[in-house]
Amino acid sequence: MKSHRDAFISELFNRAKQDSNIILISVDMGAPSLDVWRRELPEQFFTAGISEQHAINFAAGLSSTGKKVYVYFMACWTARCLEQIRYSCAMPGNGITILGNSVGLGYSPAGPAHNPTEDIAYMKSIFGLEIYSPATSQVAQALVSLTCGSPKLRYIRFERSYPEILDETYPNPNERALEGGILEVKSDKNAQIGILSSGYMLGRALGLSQDLKEMGYSTSVVDLFRIKPINTSLLKNLLVGIDIIVTLEEQGLCGGFGSSICEAATDMSMKKEILRLGLPEKYLFDNGNREHLLNSNGLSSRDIFLSVQKFLKSLDSNYLSNW
Amino acid sequence: MNTDQLMNIARNIRREIFDFTVSAQAGHLASSLSCVDLLVSLYYDPITLFAYQKDIVIFSKGHGSPSVYPILADIGIIEKSELKKYCQPDGKLKLHADWSIPGCYFVGGSLGNGLGYASGIAFKKNKRVYVILGDAELYEGCIWESLLFISHHKIDNMHLLVDRNGMGILGKTEETLKLEPLTDKFSSFGFSVQVVDGHDYEQLRLALSRKDEKPMVTIANTIKGKGVSYMEDVWQYHTIIPKDKKLIEVGMEELS
Repeated sequence: MKSHRDAFISELFNRAKQDSNIILISVDMGAPSLDVWRRELPEQFFTAGISEQHAINFAAGLSSTGKKVYVYFMACWTARCLEQIRYSCAMPGNGITILGNSVGLGYSPAGPAHNPTEDIAYMKSIFGLEIYSPATSQVAQALVSLTCGSPKLRYIRFERSYPEILDETYPNPNERALEGGILEVKSDKNAQIGILSSGYMLGRALGLSQDLKEMGYSTSVVDLFRIKPINTSLLKNLLVGIDIIVTLEEQGLCGGFGSSICEAATDMSMKKEILRLGLPEKYLFDNGNREHLLNSNGLSSRDIFLSVQKFLKSLDSNYLSNW
Repeated sequence: MNTDQLMNIARNIRREIFDFTVSAQAGHLASSLSCVDLLVSLYYDPITLFAYQKDIVIFSKGHGSPSVYPILADIGIIEKSELKKYCQPDGKLKLHADWSIPGCYFVGGSLGNGLGYASGIAFKKNKRVYVILGDAELYEGCIWESLLFISHHKIDNMHLLVDRNGMGILGKTEETLKLEPLTDKFSSFGFSVQVVDGHDYEQLRLALSRKDEKPMVTIANTIKGKGVSYMEDVWQYHTIIPKDKKLIEVGMEELS
């Protein structure tokens, strides 16, 4: 299975061969899928060196001349050029696509500088910017069509790795789902609990669904791969009959994925009990790979299950029948 | 068009800038006055390479961008009546120019970013792109990222115009945080550099009509607040706009 990044860039390369307006700028980042691009389409490829701020400004200027511009760098560096994204892209309406590689704790054990654990919060604050967080390479690849077809300021968060369970479980995204930005990955009959997530944590969401099933609870697992804007009406329809929502994210909770769900629920007058689960508000300097860090920071499958159990116990006794 | 004629045009433009800035009590008057001769040379001297019908000016130094408004009004790109409505709710002209104003191509207000943006526009090489940079703007790190890129890619249709009025908000650049030797710095980045008196039309004409195979930088030594004696080279006037009736009269008189 290709990585999200390579699935996207390979498909973009196919498009670029037919469309000379497609330009890819790498901020000194490589990828197997880039090698062929650099060899065969050198006129449509730039390396900006390690200079995120210039790369975004240059991309914005190119975009203003009608080019379809993609800037590829490590997702953690979006903070480094946030001003340029806001100022040179969002304000004048230059619709570039930012390809951020390795979100959450994906670069572990590289330390917190390399692990963007707040990028959803600060990127979603940019007016008009769309955020995508694909869980599978199929979704990542499918996003090429969207970005080429209607250039807009977008941030695509690529996972460096993803759980195998997604390959086995995740349905093929159809066009309608892609437009809506939401895909129901699994749904039990008469689901009581909605588990909402995106990207890597969708694997945990599926695990939680299984754990809850064993306790007699029915669930719906929903992938919101478009984190901004959330398709609130579609989400509301998917959650009809569901009173409890659990959100799972590999981000700090302040302004992250779960907070977007709370905002959507409020805006749509959805009266739900919502539990947000994410990383603690601290920078993780501990050694260990991604799984180790998740497991040791409250996001092991067991910890997630226990958190949900505690939450359910705190609710109305109607939800406690199975415990 | 001879030097006297260009100087007359510049005086009129300075007076209009002074007038609408003082009326609105909004803007960076001293920074706008320092780069007027650069702009007059570009827009009015037929010998310079700039042609406003096809080339573009990016005001990276956005706080100085109101200096171009009287020129745009004079050459018919915007309505003259707009000058009176500067910074007013029913007016188009802003404290920092942005793309919504005809003849302006960039959002002003965040320093250091116009250069990289301009390099994206210039890359196609179908027009000449002039970038007005403030000297204190050169403290921004992304300026130097962009210089590396422009030089490497030989974007030789770019001409950087540094309004070297020698001051930041808090005083002289060489006293607060040294920028010199600027010529050496730009040269070492692969640019063709020339230093001129930014109020001398003969020198400006030579600099702005010269072609080079390298991207060019013209460091124009200017005076902040040029044309209004009590403002010239007085750092406190970066944000202060004359309010006192007497001072306004003196300013208008000196620019007449």
